[in-house]
Amino acid sequence: MLSAALFLLVLGLVASVALAIASRAFYVWEDPKVLAVTDALPGANCGGCGNPGCASAAEAIAAGLASANICVAGGFEVAQAVGEIMGQRVEEREPEFSWTSCSYGVGNAEPIFSYNGASDCHAAVMLYGGSKLCPVGCIGLGSCVKACQFGALAIGDDNLPVVDYSRCVGCGACVDACPKNIVALVSQTRRIISEYVTDECTAPCQRACPTGIHIPGYIREIRNGNYEEAVRIIKEKCPLPLVCGYICPAPCELSCRRNFVDEAVAIDPLKRFVADHEMTTGKHIDPYKCTDNEIKIALVGGGSEGLTAAYYLARLGYQPTILEAKPELGGILRYVIAEDRLPRNVLDHDIQGILEMGIEANTNVAMGRDFDVCSLLKDGYDAVVVTSGGFDSRKILKPEQERYDAAIPGLFIMLDLLTAFSQREEIHLGKHAVIANGGLKALELARKCRDMGAEIVTIVSDQPLSTLPVDFHDTKVLAEEGIEVRASATVAAMRGIGERMDRIALEDKDLTGDISKKRTIIDADTLIVPAGRLPEMAFVHAAGKPETEGERVRWQTIETFRTFPKGGGYGILSSPEPGRISDSSAVVKSILSGRRLARAIHQNFTDGTITPIPNLVWEAADILDVTEVNGVNPSERQCPTVSDVEGDSKTAWIFPEEYPGLDEPAARQEAERCLQCGLICYDKNT
Amino acid sequence: MEYIVLVISAVLIKNILLAEYLGNCPFLGTSKRMDTAVGMGLAVIFVMTIATAVTYVVQHMVLVPLNLGYLQTIAFILVIAALVQFVEMFLRKFAPPLYVALGIFLPLITTNCAVLGTAILCIRRDMNFPEAVVFAIASASGFTLALILLAGIRERLEISNVPRALRGTAIGLIMAGLMSLAFFGFVGVDGSLKEFIQN
Repeated sequence: MLSAALFLLVLGLVASVALAIASRAFYVWEDPKVLAVTDALPGANCGGCGNPGCASAAEAIAAGLASANICVAGGFEVAQAVGEIMGQRVEEREPEFSWTSCSYGVGNAEPIFSYNGASDCHAAVMLYGGSKLCPVGCIGLGSCVKACQFGALAIGDDNLPVVDYSRCVGCGACVDACPKNIVALVSQTRRIISEYVTDECTAPCQRACPTGIHIPGYIREIRNGNYEEAVRIIKEKCPLPLVCGYICPAPCELSCRRNFVDEAVAIDPLKRFVADHEMTTGKHIDPYKCTDNEIKIALVGGGSEGLTAAYYLARLGYQPTILEAKPELGGILRYVIAEDRLPRNVLDHDIQGILEMGIEANTNVAMGRDFDVCSLLKDGYDAVVVTSGGFDSRKILKPEQERYDAAIPGLFIMLDLLTAFSQREEIHLGKHAVIANGGLKALELARKCRDMGAEIVTIVSDQPLSTLPVDFHDTKVLAEEGIEVRASATVAAMRGIGERMDRIALEDKDLTGDISKKRTIIDADTLIVPAGRLPEMAFVHAAGKPETEGERVRWQTIETFRTFPKGGGYGILSSPEPGRISDSSAVVKSILSGRRLARAIHQNFTDGTITPIPNLVWEAADILDVTEVNGVNPSERQCPTVSDVEGDSKTAWIFPEEYPGLDEPAARQEAERCLQCGLICYDKNT
Repeated sequence: MEYIVLVISAVLIKNILLAEYLGNCPFLGTSKRMDTAVGMGLAVIFVMTIATAVTYVVQHMVLVPLNLGYLQTIAFILVIAALVQFVEMFLRKFAPPLYVALGIFLPLITTNCAVLGTAILCIRRDMNFPEAVVFAIASASGFTLALILLAGIRERLEISNVPRALRGTAIGLIMAGLMSLAFFGFVGVDGSLKEFIQN
């Protein structure tokens, strides 16, 4: 008994002494911060930060290789705790969350075969990319659900993943797990500035809408009687829902799949119905907003483009101020469009809704008279955005004048010129004329210019040569006539002396690669444009007053940068996508350009460079679509179309204010007609 | 030649997991994923070999001369636990990559019954020192083999349609039982192998 106890005592002593010596001899120094940071991290090992686990993330933080707020799962509190250990100040980062776009699960979508194998998305994708015809459709076997460490995902009854936003921390494990790239991480900022790309699920109406309103989404909310949510969905992409409800030409209705069966869904009247509903309640429904920042931005011009840019900037957290020369905001909407088409109380309601997002507006202040770009920057604005929009910018303001009446020398409007030709008036054209974006009329006009004395005529088109009419293709024959064709190019700048233009700079539309090589300067003295709108080159004025009477002053348009000049300093930025900017032909188009402006400003202040979005959805994009619609019963459109003018059963509404809009039962019935389309799916039982 | 029979017997016929039913806890706990199973298997090979060698020495140089054979179990547990701690420190200092690979598995093995069982089996079967070491390596290899096989099966089960009531550990135990039945087919191979070698 004693010997046994003694033996174990000795054995234990030997072991403990050996271990004590070993712990000294084999001591490895470990940063106590690593341990403290490891304790502070959530320990889920989700990999959302890019490190294999929380322990290695802690090592990276302690070594100074990662910032204290890299943990996406822990949120701001964890970041603060880590920052305290590391002695760093932590800034809050915008939360991200998981989001999927597919709305027709397996069972409701068009199949190509029936899959009965291992229940895992990666296994299913190995066989012809999955059992769905749609290439961007969810397979619904839940690889994302298995990847989620936080229990935020589940596969719902319709075989589609459902996100529990109270649990989702935005670690991105589901994004990596999805073999179809359907699950994505989005933040509010990214949602606000997002544009549709070719490899995501979009309905034809969404793609046709210049502003990209989620049309099936708001019609679904109308169906459910949830009008406020419908307005919120519209306002995500369009800050002027009621104005659009009255005057939008509704290109979406031309693309509606119901046209294959009977008539398009009354998309625009439905928009007007919910927007009217918002106006009658008297309360503006506000879309979500990001946290405010301190960056002040001045917008010159309070038309639809300026209002939209300000609206998006305010939603992104900036402090925008609109500066408008006229007594009231609204631009063309207020001063050009007839009140019969757009009642002013409708316009006021929508503008008020935009201003409520936190926008300051100063009216009766004009650029060149009350302020200029430099004075705005001196006044504390971090950026100045020119949203002069669609007004006639031939007319420019000279500093000594109060009226807009001096034109850019040598600039002609195509319509004026054609009128003059037909009236056989004598017009003095210069030696080298440039016709910009003349469309089909350009060639005819070019020949007339030659008759009127121009020696060389250059036709500039922003379209590639292949899309131009065949008459433009034989450049050799045209060159003999003295006509030159420059496709895929835009006019970038003008220069002149006194009352004469002497140079025009042309720029390639494709600005990828070395920008400096994309510009050519030609000695031209006449520029002919289809409309008086040169939004990129607005607010040109003579550079200084002549010193002595009769002296001619050299003038030029403002040189713009396509990307922000490196190393800071001042620079004037213009759209990196020439030719893609608004042609101001419809309010929805100026809304798109306003949103892109806001996106560009946001990129400039966050990334420092402005980049175009790749694979944007636009008219000519190659997108999978259906060419026939089956299994849908015809049903009558609840609202008259223009074609009803000829029919005698219904009344035609010519002025919107005479047309009372859809009443609630009719709107609900019309909403039922929507097929809730996806890329190729649609609701067959409607 | 006897070593070949010893190895085949320890790996296939008297597999420590599937025939002796030792070490069921790590068998189910670390067989959910293949990479975990491989790491655990390697750690077991490492520890089991060293532990058997050391306990063999303790048995024959300390316990037997002192006539304290009845303290075998408790003494072995103490020795193995201290040894694993020591090895962990040693690896951390001199072989950090190995420590990172095996690190989290080493403490798991401290009081593992498969390790203790192998050490005791060597003594019971009156093996000499080289035999004991070879037996330990072979037993641990058998452990690793069974673990990796089960991990493979369980990874496939993960994407299969298992009845709700059997999901998780239940189906893991059923699979372990089925594997045990399959290994039962090796019984008797060692006898005929012995005869074959002798003739």
